Amino acid sequence: MTATVDTVSPAAAPPRAARPHRRPAGRVAPYLMLAPAVVILIALLGWPALQVLGISFRRLDLGELVRGEVAWIGLENYRAVLSDPEFWVIGLRTLVFTAACVVATVLIGLGIAVLMRHLDGFVRVALQLALVLAWATPIIATTTVFQWMFDQRYGILNKTLVALGFDGFAGHSWFGSGASTMTVIGLLILWQAVPFVAFTLYAGLLSASKELYEAASIDGAGPWQSFRTVSWPAVRPLLTMVAFLSVLWDFKVFTQVWAIKQGGPDGDSTTLPVLLYLKGISGSHFGVAAAIAVLMLLILVAVTWRYLRLLTRSPETEL
Amino acid sequence: MNGSAPQPLTDALHKEFQETHKDVTVKYEVQQWNGIQDKLTTALAGNDAPDVIEIGNTQAPKFAAAKVLTDLTEASSGFNKDQWLGSLKDSGSWDGKQFAVPFYAANRLVLYRKDMFEQAGVAAVPTSRQEWLDAISKLRAKFGADPEFQALYLPGQNWYTLLSFIYDEGGDIAKRDGTKFTATLDSAQAKAGLEFYKTLQEASGTKAPKDTDEQTPEQAGIFGQGKVAMMIALPWELATAAKNNPGLTAQTSAFPIPSKNSGATAPVFQGGSNLAVPAYSKDQDLAKDYLKLLSGAKYQSQFAKAGMIPGTSTDVAALEADPVNAAMAKASRNGRAVPATPTWGAIEAGQNPLKDMLTAYLTGAKTIGVATADANSALNKAFAG
Amino acid sequence: MKTRSQRVALNTAGLVVALLFFFPTYWMFTTALKKSNEILSPAYDLIPLSATLDNFVTAITKPGFTTFLTNSLIVTLGAVGCALAAGLLAAVPLARMRFAGRRGFVLLVLIAQLAPLEALFVPMYLIMRDADLLDTLPSLLLVYTAFTLPFTIWTLRGFVKGIPVELEEAAMVDGCGRWGVFRRITLPLLGPGLVATSVFAFVTAWNEFLYALVFMRDQSKQTLPVWLSSFRTAFGTDWGGVMAASVVYAVPALVFFLLVQRKLVAGSFAGAVKG
Repeated sequence: MTATVDTVSPAAAPPRAARPHRRPAGRVAPYLMLAPAVVILIALLGWPALQVLGISFRRLDLGELVRGEVAWIGLENYRAVLSDPEFWVIGLRTLVFTAACVVATVLIGLGIAVLMRHLDGFVRVALQLALVLAWATPIIATTTVFQWMFDQRYGILNKTLVALGFDGFAGHSWFGSGASTMTVIGLLILWQAVPFVAFTLYAGLLSASKELYEAASIDGAGPWQSFRTVSWPAVRPLLTMVAFLSVLWDFKVFTQVWAIKQGGPDGDSTTLPVLLYLKGISGSHFGVAAAIAVLMLLILVAVTWRYLRLLTRSPETEL
Repeated sequence: MNGSAPQPLTDALHKEFQETHKDVTVKYEVQQWNGIQDKLTTALAGNDAPDVIEIGNTQAPKFAAAKVLTDLTEASSGFNKDQWLGSLKDSGSWDGKQFAVPFYAANRLVLYRKDMFEQAGVAAVPTSRQEWLDAISKLRAKFGADPEFQALYLPGQNWYTLLSFIYDEGGDIAKRDGTKFTATLDSAQAKAGLEFYKTLQEASGTKAPKDTDEQTPEQAGIFGQGKVAMMIALPWELATAAKNNPGLTAQTSAFPIPSKNSGATAPVFQGGSNLAVPAYSKDQDLAKDYLKLLSGAKYQSQFAKAGMIPGTSTDVAALEADPVNAAMAKASRNGRAVPATPTWGAIEAGQNPLKDMLTAYLTGAKTIGVATADANSALNKAFAG
Repeated sequence: MKTRSQRVALNTAGLVVALLFFFPTYWMFTTALKKSNEILSPAYDLIPLSATLDNFVTAITKPGFTTFLTNSLIVTLGAVGCALAAGLLAAVPLARMRFAGRRGFVLLVLIAQLAPLEALFVPMYLIMRDADLLDTLPSLLLVYTAFTLPFTIWTLRGFVKGIPVELEEAAMVDGCGRWGVFRRITLPLLGPGLVATSVFAFVTAWNEFLYALVFMRDQSKQTLPVWLSSFRTAFGTDWGGVMAASVVYAVPALVFFLLVQRKLVAGSFAGAVKG
């Protein structure tokens, strides 16, 4: 019996060095199997992405789009974007916001995943249902509900705080400052992102076989030690993957940020995706928007560079 | 879009059009307001561009300036041009040419509870700012004991109302110089308008939030709870309010937003739509015929019947029948549009400096000088695109 | 082994967390039950002061509901199916086989996840326009498959790697053909992975708005998210209706999850390893 502790991980696992797996009639098979996915990815993601790169060097406003004009303007879009001081403020804000969201999401998700392992069937299913509902509810509903909950006058949060005796919160505005608004947005995103993280990590924890836990407790390990020696190795590679994905998603999140306060007040909750929308779909300056998109991609690659390198170089990608 | 031309109008119009143009079928596609800008952009760039489109009057300049609309200057002389609503005419013109024709419009007025006015001893509707403030104090004297009562529901970011006050002072939010616009929020008139907004808000004792507009939360819903004496709204908001409080309709009437000068009505912002012909439509002549038919008095009067101000006809008799619509019609003679600049649509749909300015000033976060100066530079930046 | 008090403590903690997460959904549900002029009231309304089913009736009987529901189901289930099929097919070679260019493919999948989808809007539209696929459901199906494919491939690859090679080899020694191995050993053990990826793909496609709005012109081809936003009209928003519609809307996603979640239980996994 092999311990399947290293199962669902894309990152480092104990190398099964000794046995290169041979697939007999397989010179062509890998390529055939990869073909459908690769075709879809290249045609529907790769090609448009290249086009976005091309568009970033053009002036593409409404008129040019409808008329099908191609007007090359070199690095002008990039110059315009990078020389705007607002861009740097927004970029920094986006990075800080992403970091905060990712850390919170992963920690809370991990906590919930561990908790789920130890719950009785009924409570666990109740928790899972609550999580799935949070995840699957349409965004228009969730953003509106959050706006109502935090409403200055009629929100249940202020009403509850006042009822508990904190009179200072009567009529308190949660959307009065950029920081406060971003906190509310962060809570909304957290609420909808944690379920996915929790489920994935839970699946990972499940993969650590029961025998290991039993062996650990027979050896006298307390809960913390059993976590450290059994759960943690099972879940660590998954954690890295989930953190990576969270970074990507939280960096790119747009709908919730826009719906809550349209990047206000005074533009203080504007993030890079919001800027992308303002320039692109809203302002119809698709060339500038494309430049921003390329810059966003570069920032993401820079931030996740270490992880990308790790993945492509590690023994994981060897057999 | 959804809720613009009433169905009887379009049914009759299409029937007549198809009778006079054999072999032509009119394909009428109703869109939603949500995301309409993206829809229009992509529809125009698609393979089968529509032949006539409805565009909001704040969007029209953008499409006109991008040169994706047919120049209708000549053709429009056959569209009842002398009866056009001024504000819609302005929004449809760019660089001296007419790219979009008026469709319909609506403007705000003050909805009020007749029964509350009566009980508070307000004998006549206010026709000046001073009378308005007096009415408010009488209402508060009578009903103020109820903590839920609001003499006037006025949220912080109702910038359409602010526009009225600024126009009334003789100012504007921007001045036009050919195709260039410069913000004028830091003018004395704009500041005076802003100050009156604050006066009104404080006098009314409204409990509305200062950091949101009249749709979040929806003011019609709050009016519908029955404890609000007045609100500045569009006529159909009464129907929304009365949905769960049917008795409200009989108790409510309306008066135009009072001017500072006694007896006059304050100029109002007119929201509405224009109609245009995409430059790449394949049936330009048919499109123009359609517009000609639509702008005739026969169909325009149906707008009045449906509670909207017709775009190409001055016949608003049908509106006078209902007191609320009559107030709108009275105010509409003094209707104005936002600056007809291509970037206005994005400003209104997104980060509106006027809203931020209102909140900052009303909450005391900024002095009037700083608030207007900041909004001015933000607006100028937005105009630049 | 847990003591009884430990169990109680843990279960209480679990319930508290569940309640916290459930609260906004609860709020949405109670709003759907309220009359429209009670949605924002100064009274303390943690428990709704009154209840009515009108909003649900309005939502379901709104014209086009069944059409839009069908469209959404077609597009979403189709995308899930395609993503799983293509993803699984791609995951196996990336996890198991050795061939030239494999690292390049891995990198391709990774980079594909970095794409900001709103930025791809214009080129995607132009591609669909030129392929004459605008205003057809397959265009959305393809787009949603493309959106969810990178994640699906990556996750399934991880799960495939997790299946011990020895199991497969043992089965082959026992006389199972390659396809038999796949069907009887690999596929069942991929249960949790298939669940995670299919739920993710489902929710992503089910909630997508921008592309659905823009690719579809014909009213009869719209999907539910677009329908949901139609509650916000020029005449104000029917919030009770929106919330009722959202509740109705979340139900298929919930059902889908309940159907597949049984695979998430450890049983099937550990059992195969032991056996």
